[in-house]
Amino acid sequence: MTRAIAIGLKIPDNTAYTALVALRRLGVAVEGVERNEVFFFDDDGDVAALVRRVKADETIFNPNKHRLEVLAQAAPRPGELWVEPLERAPNRAAAVAWRLTDARGLPASSQVLEAAADRLLCNPAIDRARV
Amino acid sequence: MLHSAPSVALREDEVERIAQRLGREPSAVELAAFDAQWSEHCSYKSSRHHLKRLPVSGSSVVLGPGEDAGILHLGIHDGERYAVVIAHESHNHPSQVVPFEGAATGVGGIVRDVLCMGAQVIAVADPLRFGRADAAESHARYVAQAAVDGIGAYGNAIGVPNLAGDVYFDAGFDENCLINVVALGLVKESNVIHSHVPKDADGWEIVLVGKATDASGFGGASFSSLTLDAEDAEANKGAVQVPDPFLKSVLMRASYRTFALLHERKLEAAFKDLGAGGIMGCSAEMTAGGGHGAAIDLDRVNVALEGMAPEVIAVGETQERLMWALPPAIVPDVLRIYNEEFTLPEVAYNARASVIGRVTADKRYVLRYDGAVVMDVESDFLTGSIRDELPYTEVIRHAAPANELAAVSVEYLLPRVLAHRDVCSREPLYRRYDAVVRGCTVLPRGAADAGVLAPIPGSPLGVALAVAGNPRYGRIDPRYAAEHAVIEAVRRVVAVGAQPIGLTDCLNFGNPRKPDQYGEFVRAVDGLACAADALTLPFVSGNVSLYNESADGSAVPASPIVACVGAIEDVGQVITPGLKHAGSTLLWIGSRELAVGGSVLAELLGVDEPLPALSYGAERTAIGILRDAAARGILRSCRAVSDGGMLTALVRMAFDAFTAGRPIGAEIDFGNPFCESGGFVCEVSDAAGVDLTGALQIGVTTEAPELVVNGTHFSLAQLYEIWSKPLSEIYP
Amino acid sequence: MSGRIAVLVFPGTNSEDETLRVLRDCGGDAELVHWSSPERLAGYDAYVLSGGFAHEDRIRAGAVAAHDRMMDYVIQGAQRGKLVFGICNGAQIVLEAGLVPGTGAIRKPTAAFTHNAPAPHFVCRHVYMKLAIEPARCAITASLPRDALVPSWAAHGEGRLAATSKHLDEIVTGGHLAFVYAHADGTVDDAAVPNGSALRCAGLVNREGNVLAIMPHAERDAWNFNHLERSDSGDVLAPSGGSIIFRSFVEAVSQL
Repeated sequence: MTRAIAIGLKIPDNTAYTALVALRRLGVAVEGVERNEVFFFDDDGDVAALVRRVKADETIFNPNKHRLEVLAQAAPRPGELWVEPLERAPNRAAAVAWRLTDARGLPASSQVLEAAADRLLCNPAIDRARV
Repeated sequence: MLHSAPSVALREDEVERIAQRLGREPSAVELAAFDAQWSEHCSYKSSRHHLKRLPVSGSSVVLGPGEDAGILHLGIHDGERYAVVIAHESHNHPSQVVPFEGAATGVGGIVRDVLCMGAQVIAVADPLRFGRADAAESHARYVAQAAVDGIGAYGNAIGVPNLAGDVYFDAGFDENCLINVVALGLVKESNVIHSHVPKDADGWEIVLVGKATDASGFGGASFSSLTLDAEDAEANKGAVQVPDPFLKSVLMRASYRTFALLHERKLEAAFKDLGAGGIMGCSAEMTAGGGHGAAIDLDRVNVALEGMAPEVIAVGETQERLMWALPPAIVPDVLRIYNEEFTLPEVAYNARASVIGRVTADKRYVLRYDGAVVMDVESDFLTGSIRDELPYTEVIRHAAPANELAAVSVEYLLPRVLAHRDVCSREPLYRRYDAVVRGCTVLPRGAADAGVLAPIPGSPLGVALAVAGNPRYGRIDPRYAAEHAVIEAVRRVVAVGAQPIGLTDCLNFGNPRKPDQYGEFVRAVDGLACAADALTLPFVSGNVSLYNESADGSAVPASPIVACVGAIEDVGQVITPGLKHAGSTLLWIGSRELAVGGSVLAELLGVDEPLPALSYGAERTAIGILRDAAARGILRSCRAVSDGGMLTALVRMAFDAFTAGRPIGAEIDFGNPFCESGGFVCEVSDAAGVDLTGALQIGVTTEAPELVVNGTHFSLAQLYEIWSKPLSEIYP
Repeated sequence: MSGRIAVLVFPGTNSEDETLRVLRDCGGDAELVHWSSPERLAGYDAYVLSGGFAHEDRIRAGAVAAHDRMMDYVIQGAQRGKLVFGICNGAQIVLEAGLVPGTGAIRKPTAAFTHNAPAPHFVCRHVYMKLAIEPARCAITASLPRDALVPSWAAHGEGRLAATSKHLDEIVTGGHLAFVYAHADGTVDDAAVPNGSALRCAGLVNREGNVLAIMPHAERDAWNFNHLERSDSGDVLAPSGGSIIFRSFVEAVSQL
């Protein structure tokens, strides 16, 4: 089966900050932006072994700056927008997962996610947005 | 509250000395401040007294070592005296752990050193030493790839061309890569801004500009003085420095605007980069340098997160920050430039220019936090030079006696030399760097032995830059490697027709507390001094990086790395390396000492040979012959002999012609064409009149796109294929 | 009469000085206009968006800058027939703003200049752009000879034209493919393309012919000292090479 692993920065993420400022300027109601890259891996059921393998690949995971999360499903969670490249390239993330939160710190609604994709985060000529 | 990491690198005797001087136990902030300020990185405590042997003056020197960067006179245009600002640094330890961020922040730091002299930043260069990156999935390969991407991501974004650099791959760098960075700036000599306040700066305001201070990089100054291993990598994660080239690009332009305003109002100011030691180190040095003290209020620092301990705010090494000391009258305008015109707060979270304190008449360094004094020490005690007289042992190299080399088969060796990791084309690497932004590039990186810019709009004045430092030599003899690094950097600048005007160095060595490793450093300094004296060139800037030591206690190969700047009166006269015409005479000018020790050839043959001897007399003669040939208009092309020897230099001249659409070949006869002892390969239209006591006629150029060496024929196209490919395995 | 040219400076733009210089050396009346004073743009007749990394190309090259207030003026101006010339990052911004190929709505791009291929890395390489339209099809290229070759530098990480096959068809049939990559002798093949660009595209033009977006930097190969081996006069400071496209642009501005 396919296992999705999200890898994000534990050092400050300048891109997420820029996205937050830009989305607010565009009138999209978000107060928090977190960005992860999602990688898909073939998984024989041994999740721990998979995580060890991924953590050993420095080209995608450096413990000094990255954190890693094994996702229960290979699909966006509430408050998450996945921007997936229409052409999958080897060794590149399968999606960029944007996690948006509202003023109360709660996951953004799907309307907000769609607006964020439509106005800024997704170029439909090369990307597909999934919420 | 976020507190400092407990590990203080200060030794017990140093802590005692501080307590004695203060007459009390130092506060947490004071301890952190002395820890940073007295670290090897800031104090040069075990190297400074040796570095005094380097020549630092000369007719070209506008500003020697001592401030954030050195300055060299370039030339006069339109009645104005122009100078180049140069700084040279290393960012080795962080790059081994987080290579992308480490290398990027290395570029970011060196750019600030040049910027703060009041200069426009016009170029960067990066000498790199990586481990055995040919092994896929090795840490060495990851470092080699990510560091290059980091350098590119930063330099490309801020719009500074990458003009020169080199790269070597060697097992000695598996656990300690070397990321050296050089930056060049352009300034009118009348507009130089100093790194310290003048004598009459009492009451000036201290303005911090740039990124909001956060906890990143806390302890970075000491970080570079600790040995790295996997555990440390995790433990040191607070020391990851986060680059922000976007903010830097805006900061640079806002600073240029501020320079213009200062010149318009004819006001003096001081401007300095925040590096190791953060706000504390920068403000203490900036004010003590002018015989003043400082009073800083840490509550006025723009921070990225609440609840940071005062010592973190004071000495943390958040990137992308600079500090001004300004006459009060101009402060509102400067704040407006950074905060409103260049909108810093919109560019990065809570980035801004803010007044955080003032210059005081007494020589005390005082920090306040939350209404209380948290540090109060004598400025001179904090910033004054401390010195560690460490013992060292003489480096004695028992070189094997010279052997009669068995006749070498050029047919066997040439393809192997050209494909060697230290000889093959660097293009796959440097293609990732912008070489031409700013539109001033005359010879981009890779086009010749040195990069050349025409940095002053409307002027034909040019500046050339090259770097050198051969780790194969460093392994055998640190002193010789240092001399050779100077000569080779000079040769590369001369090869494009420039007049060398000054040098910088970065000394990358092992543990100074190990007498044998420290001895290598001491002898390398001797070598630099000897070569610079012999060639009458000054060192105007430099850096020392020690503790480049692996977990097993071994040091990197001795790596004195040198950069040379050259001046060119008219860039129209530069010499390019591509062969120009069939029927030219080929000369080898300069030293032809035939020893092969430390060469690529010696490695391929597995022989242990002595290093070739150096002759400064021969070197000066060679430079004279070359300049004379250029002045008489008979010099058509030229390359300095370097890794891979004379034949490699010649083959590359043929490649340069070949890729420019001029298929020109060469036919030469020479016993061992792979000696790397030096000199230049030159194409001249006519050898008549050339002083042949210092030059040897080795052959002619031909119309066929092939190379004939001692009767053996090679297709240039095939050789090019062999030479151009290997690094694309690492840099696809 | 001569129209006034604004060279836009976004936060992160880095090629504004040399772009300004080449425009002036070609006789243009050009000035820099900075992001903190976008309203100044109303007073200009033509806009040049120069190279760099506006907002560091975060999210996607040109994506954030396309929403900058300066772009409101550029978009309005383009709709009223003002000339808009985007170079490299400027081309990416113009495309993200929907001005080229211009087959969709404003700020709804129908193509992308995206990560290079096959290796998704920045590439700095000397190239030639070959004019792939009739010169008069685009006001900015009108003074160039047919099949003009413009020496330039590709210097970008996201310069590969990508779009769905439907949109690529529209680019071809609508005559939007303004420049393709070529060799020095004018031949066009994949080896001449530095970034894997679809259609070997180096530049796009809108339907009306007043907006041109080129990925390579012609201004970096625009004076004799940039290319000594190809110098066409003894004066190393004289404009030459890639400056021809700026000359043509300035000529078009003068006819507004």
